[in-house]
Amino acid sequence: MSSSDLSNVKRIKDTLDVITGIVLLVVSLVLALYLVPNYIGEPSILQNPMMSPRWLPNIVSWLILAFSILLIIQGIIVPSDTENDERKIVKGPYRRFVIMLIALFVYVLFFESLGAILTGILATVLLFLAHPVRVWWAYGFAIAFPVGVTLLFVNVMNVPLPLMPF
Amino acid sequence: MENLTEVLQLFLSIDNFIAIALGVVIGVTVGSIPGLTATMAVALALPFTFSMQPVAAILLLVGIYKGGMYGGSITAILIRTPGSPASACTLLDGYPMAQQGNAKKALKAALFSSVIADFISNIALIFFAAYLAKIALNFGAPEFFWLICFSLTIIISLASGSMVKGLLAALLGILLSLVGLDSVFGSQRLTFGNYNLMDSISFIPLLIGLFAIPEIIEFYRKKVIPHIKAKASGVGMTLAELKRCMKSIVRGSLIGVIIGAIPGTGATAAAFISYSDARRRSPNKANFGKGEVEGVAAAEAGNNGVAGATLIPLLSLGIPGDVITAIILGAFMVHGLTPGPIMFQENLSLIYALFLGIMFSSLILLVVGNAAIKYFSLIADIPKSILFPIVLMFCVYGAYAVNNMTFDIWLMLAFGVVGYLFNRTGIPAAPFLIGFILGPMFEDNLRRSLLISNGDMSIFVRGPITWFFIAITFGSIAFAVFRFFKDRNTKLNADKLTNET
Repeated sequence: MSSSDLSNVKRIKDTLDVITGIVLLVVSLVLALYLVPNYIGEPSILQNPMMSPRWLPNIVSWLILAFSILLIIQGIIVPSDTENDERKIVKGPYRRFVIMLIALFVYVLFFESLGAILTGILATVLLFLAHPVRVWWAYGFAIAFPVGVTLLFVNVMNVPLPLMPF
Repeated sequence: MENLTEVLQLFLSIDNFIAIALGVVIGVTVGSIPGLTATMAVALALPFTFSMQPVAAILLLVGIYKGGMYGGSITAILIRTPGSPASACTLLDGYPMAQQGNAKKALKAALFSSVIADFISNIALIFFAAYLAKIALNFGAPEFFWLICFSLTIIISLASGSMVKGLLAALLGILLSLVGLDSVFGSQRLTFGNYNLMDSISFIPLLIGLFAIPEIIEFYRKKVIPHIKAKASGVGMTLAELKRCMKSIVRGSLIGVIIGAIPGTGATAAAFISYSDARRRSPNKANFGKGEVEGVAAAEAGNNGVAGATLIPLLSLGIPGDVITAIILGAFMVHGLTPGPIMFQENLSLIYALFLGIMFSSLILLVVGNAAIKYFSLIADIPKSILFPIVLMFCVYGAYAVNNMTFDIWLMLAFGVVGYLFNRTGIPAAPFLIGFILGPMFEDNLRRSLLISNGDMSIFVRGPITWFFIAITFGSIAFAVFRFFKDRNTKLNADKLTNET
């Protein structure tokens, strides 16, 4: 990186705010110029333009655009509180995060085909392994809780859930 | 007399008592676990209320709310980790007391002040909600339109952190609330032909996704933090100490009531204002911050004084004051009820049954809170690596239970990612949710006003009530702009000072 590039980065007081602002700016432009005109139907005759189904989404899109520009400006001129910045986290191992993602996909992909109990057990065991839980008896919870909670939903609360694959 | 019998019939049901007790226990339990919030617990409990009677359902959620408010103080005092943001003030004196071997005294002070403040707040709710609802009966569509404008602007202007980000969050919430079939013309809005979206975005998957999933993602993404053991030791609070703290508790409760009744201000502000007021007036002001029992009592009184008062705008005007009341509003809607002045006319018995239940919850809080001091501090010792997989299971089951569709689990995960990105970028989730709830109301009242007036815009300035709301709406915008420039100048000055140093 050249010295001028470095000074440019230094001039931006909060890079994350600037990036967030740019992303929202793009989103608002796509909304205002493409999604609202093409994906919101409008009746041919309107008593008042403010009655149109497009009116509020349009206004909101343009307001998002305006405020995202303001956020970019804020990121450039207002420094962030680096010491108390709750946005920053110290990241742990990737393996743990990947296993959590797999557990989430187990729920989404197999919930109806395998049933709530089996997917619950599978995903909970995966999450226990992700961290990892080293107490063997805790794995009993991974079986007891999905069974107990599913039966609670189905039999006590009368909220139907897919029980088993058969 | 007939009404009284009806109210008692509605209230004196075993289901209601179980719901309140269970709600308070869940609230205190969840509140005492750092990382799990009362908001998350209320969101996760919502699917369980589908098959319950409306009174029991709402009381369960209110119980969790109140229990969670107190539960947050347990870990704040014992391990210097507030269970909720509002308990952050409690640790200023609570943790030094625990270090001096007076943990039990601090916990008792927190409990008694919480219960007294909760009781005062409930009384305020009962008196003011009905009064405000009576006034709101004179409101038409244009008045409600301006009231919603005011609620949106005040929530954003008082939200912690950046005002611009709060506004963006609220706008994104409004935008998402418009997805689905248009209520007047029936045309599709941003559904992309997906029939699952025609009936708008489901509230519960959004709620769970926004408030529970980001915590889970963060837990598996973050480096492990060493676990601190909690222990409640020492002697309890004496009657003389309680008497000494009484003035601060009552003042704190009233501060909580006033702040809670204004949408968007929240318990954290109330706790800190009450604490600083108590410190200013106390003869022991030098001891504040070093383990003063009055400091714990004042902070908790301010914090819990908000609980009942936040229900005032919800029940009387149908406007949620914070995230939890927004979820409770969702619970009302799930049961086919719309909070607001009309509910006071059509469902008066139900409202008074709710009031009785809410009053009763203060008593339950005292009983459960006492047990909590002994046993619930142990809950904070349960490792999160065991808790979070179980929380995720509740999230998935709850999201699926809404419509029995896997689409809702996808939706919950999508909002979970949105919530996580919000956390990482510092965009507050609360204005997003409030925007999502108020968006359709805003559009509905705007259109109704235009229909009533045949498109004549003067309907929006038709009388003193609209003028009043216009004035306070612009007042709150002006306050927000003032706060924005003040914050900016403070930061710029701090930056300048750092550079000079």
